[in-house]
Amino acid sequence: MLSILTIIWALIVGIIVLGFIAASAMFLIWWERKVSAHIQSRYGPMRVGWHGVLQSVADAVKLLLKENIIPAEADKLVWWLAPFIAIVPPVMAFVVLPFGKNLIVKDLNVGVLYLMALSSVSVIGIFMAGWGSNNKYSLIGGMRSAAQIISYELPLIISMIIVAMQAGSLSMQKIVLAQAGCWNILHPNMAMAFIVYIIAATAEINRVPFDIPEAESELVAGFHTEYSGMKFAMFFIGEYTNLFIISAIAATLFFGGWQGPILPGVVWFLIKSYGIVFVLMWVRWTFPRLRVDQLMGFAWKILTPISFVNLAITGWLLLK
Amino acid sequence: MIKYSKNFVIGIWSLIKGLAVTIKYCFRPAVTLQYPTQKRPMSDCYRGLVGLHPEKCIVCYQCVKMCPTACLAITHKLEDKKKTLETFKYNMELCCFCGLCEQVCPADAIVMTKIYEISVYDRKKLDINLLDDKKYDEWTHTTIK
Repeated sequence: MLSILTIIWALIVGIIVLGFIAASAMFLIWWERKVSAHIQSRYGPMRVGWHGVLQSVADAVKLLLKENIIPAEADKLVWWLAPFIAIVPPVMAFVVLPFGKNLIVKDLNVGVLYLMALSSVSVIGIFMAGWGSNNKYSLIGGMRSAAQIISYELPLIISMIIVAMQAGSLSMQKIVLAQAGCWNILHPNMAMAFIVYIIAATAEINRVPFDIPEAESELVAGFHTEYSGMKFAMFFIGEYTNLFIISAIAATLFFGGWQGPILPGVVWFLIKSYGIVFVLMWVRWTFPRLRVDQLMGFAWKILTPISFVNLAITGWLLLK
Repeated sequence: MIKYSKNFVIGIWSLIKGLAVTIKYCFRPAVTLQYPTQKRPMSDCYRGLVGLHPEKCIVCYQCVKMCPTACLAITHKLEDKKKTLETFKYNMELCCFCGLCEQVCPADAIVMTKIYEISVYDRKKLDINLLDDKKYDEWTHTTIK
């Protein structure tokens, strides 16, 4: 009896999380189009619903109805699996995101480590898409993505470790509680870690200015050139869910998570997360794309040394 | 090393300046005109479809002679030694919107209107009777649902 209840409970939680992911991805796609339009003195979508809020719903319906074309020479199994592998890590990351005081699916005591591991898995989906499509642009896109994510993983993880060191725990909920008096971002070494984190995370999810895996002007659409219909939509939803997740992690690790006065915790958490999402969108529509060698040089020559120095300084400050 | 650090600082400063420009534009009103519902007024010298004030016309045939593409055709009848218009055909398919008919008309009877949304589904609709009062109703009252 208990096990059946547990299964039903797990199903309910799963449906809520999936519903939130779909709604959030649709909202983020609409919002991104609006932000980009206003930055370029345009309106963006205006016709479907109030100021085009239902545009993403219309697009999703269109993508559902589209034909799923499999390239003739594709590696079918790899090609079929790739979108699923690309979308599963962002869904799994929701397990440890603390939305509120008790609003967390499971407060793992290795939460930060779990997130680090998941962020490395999503590259496999992208690389499988590039390989399975049997298309030179897709393959180059997948290879670039793998190289980029491996390079940026290091500064990303080190800046997350700095936060874990400060809090003395890898659990997300404990990290939030450790920031009760003072947000992490207010310490100078943490502010540096935040800057490194946000740059590395932008590269990690292949967003402009680090979007060389899907650089339109060179690679058509990179790894998802050959995908259409729902498979393409899955990559798209995965991408925007990743955007939300890195912002949510940043909000949790550096901005005090769900803690804040007056308003309930969930509202604070969402305000902080979507605020960081807005900053990332603002950055996306301002900066041009980096070249491959500049990208690699930036990761290994600037970000990694900075994060190592920061790690040493934080260690010294903790032991002092 | 000094040059490198200088470039680094200049680079970061330029990135911040770029961000400032984009956020400024983000909160400015958009310049887009929502076309079918909002329309920009045409300038005074805009040359759209040809229109006619039949009461002013003195049936001098100057416009017909001047028209480079021969898109105008007039017939008249004599009543008490006075010419009156019988038909005034305008073949829009041929018209090149040069405005010479408007320039040459001594009585300012023929004018260029500001109507520019002139696509039709039926080719016969391009043959317009300028004496018909309701000839441009279809194009001047474009309603978008």
